[in-house]
Amino acid sequence: MNAPAKPIVSVDHLRVEFPTRGGTVIGVEDVSFTIAPGETLCVVGESGSGKSVTSLSLMRLVEFGGGQITEGALTFARADGSTLNVATASPEVMQGVRGNEIGMIFQEPMTALNPVFTIERQLTDGLILHKGLSQQAASARALELLKLVRIPEPERRLKQYPHELSGGMRQRVVIAMAMTCEPKLLIADEPTTALDVTIQAEILALINRLKREKGMAVLFITHDMAVVAQMADRVVVMYQGRIVETGTVTDIFENPQQDYTRALLAAVPKLGEMKGKTAPERMRLIGDEAARAAAVAPKARKPEVLLDVRHLTTRFPVKGGILRRTVAQVHAVEDVSFTLNVGETLALVGESGCGKSSTGRSILRLIEPTSGEVWIGGRDIRALSHHDLRRARADMQMVFQDPFASLNPYRRLKDQVSEPIQNFGLATGQALKDRVEQLFDRVRLPRAFMTRFPHELSGGQRQRVAIARALAVNPKLIVADEAVSALDVSVQAQVLNLMMELQEDLGLSYLFISHDMAVVERVAHHVGVMYLGRIVEIGPRASVFENPQHPYTRSLLSAVPIADPRKRRFADDLTFKPITSPIFPLGHTPAPSTYTEVAPGHRVLHP
Amino acid sequence: MTYILNRLLSVILTLFLITIVTFGVTNILPGDVAMMIMGTQSNPEALEGLRQSLGLNDPLIVQYGRWIGGMLTGDWGTSLIFKQPIAELLLQKAAASAVIVVMSMTIALALAVPLGVWAAVHRDKWQDTTSSTTALLGVSLPDFFWGIVMILVFARWLGWFPSSGFVDPAEDFLGTLRHAFLPSLALGLGLMAHLTRMTRSTMTGILNQEFIRVARAKGLSERTVIWRYALANAIGPVITIAGLQIGYLFGSIIVMEFLFSYTGMGWLTYQALLNRDLPLIQATVFVVAAVVMLTNLAVDLLYVAIDPRIRLG
Repeated sequence: MNAPAKPIVSVDHLRVEFPTRGGTVIGVEDVSFTIAPGETLCVVGESGSGKSVTSLSLMRLVEFGGGQITEGALTFARADGSTLNVATASPEVMQGVRGNEIGMIFQEPMTALNPVFTIERQLTDGLILHKGLSQQAASARALELLKLVRIPEPERRLKQYPHELSGGMRQRVVIAMAMTCEPKLLIADEPTTALDVTIQAEILALINRLKREKGMAVLFITHDMAVVAQMADRVVVMYQGRIVETGTVTDIFENPQQDYTRALLAAVPKLGEMKGKTAPERMRLIGDEAARAAAVAPKARKPEVLLDVRHLTTRFPVKGGILRRTVAQVHAVEDVSFTLNVGETLALVGESGCGKSSTGRSILRLIEPTSGEVWIGGRDIRALSHHDLRRARADMQMVFQDPFASLNPYRRLKDQVSEPIQNFGLATGQALKDRVEQLFDRVRLPRAFMTRFPHELSGGQRQRVAIARALAVNPKLIVADEAVSALDVSVQAQVLNLMMELQEDLGLSYLFISHDMAVVERVAHHVGVMYLGRIVEIGPRASVFENPQHPYTRSLLSAVPIADPRKRRFADDLTFKPITSPIFPLGHTPAPSTYTEVAPGHRVLHP
Repeated sequence: MTYILNRLLSVILTLFLITIVTFGVTNILPGDVAMMIMGTQSNPEALEGLRQSLGLNDPLIVQYGRWIGGMLTGDWGTSLIFKQPIAELLLQKAAASAVIVVMSMTIALALAVPLGVWAAVHRDKWQDTTSSTTALLGVSLPDFFWGIVMILVFARWLGWFPSSGFVDPAEDFLGTLRHAFLPSLALGLGLMAHLTRMTRSTMTGILNQEFIRVARAKGLSERTVIWRYALANAIGPVITIAGLQIGYLFGSIIVMEFLFSYTGMGWLTYQALLNRDLPLIQATVFVVAAVVMLTNLAVDLLYVAIDPRIRLG
């Protein structure tokens, strides 16, 4: 970035307010930055940092969400050489700029497209509007755009509706839509957050290629430091509506000046940083040196099997026809076997639809498996009557991804934590009260929170309540299904450390279901990689991560962005094989899973 | 295709059940058809003879079979009070009522959709309050009240529309519309309330969706965003409710046609009930049920046309 060109956008002292009934809320304050042509500026921050408000202000879309730009200038260099202050431009002028000179990509590809219009209509209406093209010319251009974003079978896609496309394809359509009028500035607001890691890698590579080919400036909004490291030329770090730090990507990562930036970076797990270590290690949290010291000496345990899953298979019926008969089956979990030791963590990783969550739920019989055995503490869960199963569930608890959805919004937290204790008749009266207090202490929540309701807590605090509730019945096994995925990175680190601390103190075993390879590398003793319902590779974490054998494990690991700007991976488009369908006709008998042992305990599925 | 077949199959099944219920209920009702025809003072032997010839002494299942057979072949029997073939009578009156049904639903939708959209766009502002107050006013006052108001205002004071009567559309179609307008408007105001609320709530949900933001980010005008992008998604549930209201409409149409002396289906039903004209009651109930079912089928098929996601199911 020598000899900076004339910036395409310069934001000066932007302030956005949201008038609400309870008074004015400040969205962002005193935000200033510039973006040069051909440059990628990443705005990074946690939820509530104002990063999305900033990007929406550049499009003047913030007013549709109830916000007002009350101070500052947003100077945009228009295509005709003039400059425009977006903050004061008329709505009509802004309509001519939006989608024409500034393109925008949003987070949720599943909801970003209008479900009742064809792809063609959604790609062409901008062209007809801004460029005055005929429907025919616009359709031809739409086809070109789909080819530009490298969608397979572009001609067919034009006539399709959004629901007929996969998430990755939809995001490509959204990008094509943002590119229709060849904008000078592309705003990408968390464009890959909702996507699987291999698809994320493809989309990031695509954005990089388009930027290079078209010479666009890119404003990239994200919460993910690893993505920042891969994409940014320069970085703006935001916190609570203000800019904390601005700098080049190497400066920010290697020489951060502000405490907040340092804390943020410390909380990010970096794939590969556990190389050569066998045991999990707590996250480094600034100001939590005690936890760090404690983590140095993990207790050595004699391996003792707690959970033994044998040939677990779960299938869901696909109904069809006039009589709603079962016409096919989804093979969600297919001949899965593994063991989990007392006091250890087995991580199940894989992309959406691979069967990792179904496996977790099948073990607890929250969904009924089709066949197989699940041994825990000398009992086969599959063979239990419903009455015995209820008893057995005291040994195995679950923590879900979304703590807001998994807590009852109408009940006080202490009642929700005490409920399982009462269900199993473990304590009453004063003993119950003491136990609930202990649990709140245990997950480091103030006792004052006991009488509160879920909406009064932050996401991380809610997840602590969910953990306390799971711990209430002294379980041996906790199935954590994406338990930290919805949390901000610093909160995620705290919750992960709490979980590891609880494991050491209480000898808990975790079945840790996650899509995040960097987190898994940090917390797991063993890792099972799932693909199309099967475990394709399983073994000690170090062995699987450092010596992956199955092609799918390798492609998964190669797709993970690394939070280090010197290890950039996505030079050009990558093409990962799309996952094939797990739906099979009735009576289809898949071959059993057979494995080769490539290292002690490290097994790989036969092709 | 599978979806349409599925729906048709269930419509046929429901209609079959309706025939059983209608037939059953009307036969349990007290009252003797033969006596209705010949009068209470008639000779018991003559009554018995008439019962025999009408087949009223046959087992119920035989009577039911005969009735269904007749319905299927177009022989719907003769009305006891009007001494006319029922099929002919019903067709004539149903056509008259159809004018009111279509007109009142058109009025209701034409008012409710813009009002609901307006409320959703200006959610929690004065426009929203105005819209919901209007809607509430429409629903909380019974339709006959609106009927009386209409007669007073448009017929008595302004003299724009006739306050009662019916003109055969074959003779003077515009006259039919003029006569149907006031009852339709009164009914439409009652229907409007629900539709406004429905439009508002579905539109509110849709306007918060990401694709609306994407549409704005493309530079589309607010008019296009709201009236095309959003409404195309929000209108489905509104139409479904409108379809369900057709059933409700047949209830209120009885009162309204009576009030306006409009000789349609509602008026006919009223006469049939008052005079225990069993064959006519049975046929009327069946026709109303069939029309409601088929309307809802049509609405669902319309929904399929609007929303491509349903086509797969």
